[in-house]
Amino acid sequence: MREAIGMEALKTKGRKIWLVVAVMMGVQMLWAGWAISNKDANDLVQGWLFFLYQFPMLNCIIMPVIAAVVASRLCEVEHKGQTFKLLETIVPANRIFDAKFIWGSIYMFGAALGQVAIMIGMGLMLHFGGPVPWGALGGYLFFTLAVSLTIYAFQQVVSMLFANQMVPMTLGLVGGFIGLFSMFFPQGFQKFILWSYYGVLMQIGMNWDQNTRAIDFYWTAIDWSGFVLLFVFFGLIYGIGRILFVRREV
Amino acid sequence: MSNVIETAGLSKEYGNVYRVKDVDLLVPEGAIYGFLGPNGAGKSTTLKMVLGLAKPTAGEISVFGKRVNSKNRLENLKNVGSLIESPSYYGHLTGAENLQIFQTLRGVPKNNIDEVLKIVRLDNQKHKKVSQYSLGMKQRLGLASALLGYPKLLILDEPTNGLDPAGIQEMRELIQSLPQKFGMTVVVSSHLLSEIDQLATRVGIIREGELVYQDSLMKLHQYSQQHLAVRTMNNEVTKSFLSQNGVAWEAQDDYLIIPQMKDSMMAEISKVLGQNNIGLVRIEERKKSLEDIFLELTGTAVSL
Repeated sequence: MREAIGMEALKTKGRKIWLVVAVMMGVQMLWAGWAISNKDANDLVQGWLFFLYQFPMLNCIIMPVIAAVVASRLCEVEHKGQTFKLLETIVPANRIFDAKFIWGSIYMFGAALGQVAIMIGMGLMLHFGGPVPWGALGGYLFFTLAVSLTIYAFQQVVSMLFANQMVPMTLGLVGGFIGLFSMFFPQGFQKFILWSYYGVLMQIGMNWDQNTRAIDFYWTAIDWSGFVLLFVFFGLIYGIGRILFVRREV
Repeated sequence: MSNVIETAGLSKEYGNVYRVKDVDLLVPEGAIYGFLGPNGAGKSTTLKMVLGLAKPTAGEISVFGKRVNSKNRLENLKNVGSLIESPSYYGHLTGAENLQIFQTLRGVPKNNIDEVLKIVRLDNQKHKKVSQYSLGMKQRLGLASALLGYPKLLILDEPTNGLDPAGIQEMRELIQSLPQKFGMTVVVSSHLLSEIDQLATRVGIIREGELVYQDSLMKLHQYSQQHLAVRTMNNEVTKSFLSQNGVAWEAQDDYLIIPQMKDSMMAEISKVLGQNNIGLVRIEERKKSLEDIFLELTGTAVSL
């Protein structure tokens, strides 16, 4: 398995996949900078909560795009060079699938970690109120990664099964938009949409006073039932996708 | 001589159509086995089933005397190199990097990379990106990938596809050298009769999924030996006359096909027939070309 993962690394040489992650992180940082720029000192007291609320919302569109592009870039080389028919005479198909998932996960982890770094960096720079909420940021990293890896698994399955990468890319973008708009729907409904789980597993709630037009953020309990459901989604997507990949004929 | 590949009743059905039907492939050790057939005859599907890339609908496959199943497939394939349909490669990587991937996954020594690059004469191009390779170079890289572990069995599916005449010649010479140099058994498929004729020692001809011929190439050539076709005014009496004199014959339309013989003997037959008032009206020399035989067996033109 170690060799297979190592070879995934070699296959990405010159593919500039980290650049995609970096660009998306840049977009997220610019957005965060813009969003916080009009906040006064009173607002910044709730700076950490503001970020922990806003970042997951933006992730509904950012992370699915990263997942779609990364999965597509990793799988495209195999389709283009028709390498599956050779690889599958050397290593078991399920190992190819697993190695690719593990390697792709590193990019997703990098993106999630990058977001946490942006939050901490900006929080310290702008002197947000209170100490750095390490626990909440750890929770953010964990849940963001859980949702992102599930979405990435979905993207990898589609990217591996379809030679035409327009299919997974379109699905990724459409999924992202559905996830974003699902925020307007009840949470019960959101739980049926994979891309909306960034919102489902948010640790922060928001009150908006219509009269004063003031926004107040507060800590909420984590929706563990949603997390369990996400875990089930992951198992199904990964398990079924892997079986489909192994059973298909090249 | 033992068989490196043996299949029994190998079949593959797509929808309700058999792409491969009851194929009993026998590839002897040390042979260059030419797997010949028109496009779409089922060559690639058969080879993919041998490699486990396609699942047979029915039948058995044995490689190196061991029956192949999903559990021991990869273990069996450790001694098999393959190039199916077109070369597999990562265009954005160099030739050497491509081979490094397959060498690492195969778990064979790193030195093999330079050795196989030398064998396929790509050692001077190994640091060039494969996307910049010509088709012939990509095919040679594909062959290098297949050779990496110095397998005992090499399966090459249409290795000269898309190559120019010089490339075809080069690939042919390479393939021909492998059994002698490395003791490999080679299975090479093609839709070109001339190619298999120049390359193979044993041949299997597949038509619409069915194996219609399998034997040595020499035997196939025997079918193409010269014959005489004679036509007389009374072929029936001539038949008994020929039989009495130990001359084999075969009736074909209005002609009797007899083996090639000395002029003196033919003159004698002609004389005796005349003495018996049987007019000899035609004596023709006929030769069945290999193409004719292929056409008879496959029902299609020689090169499609």
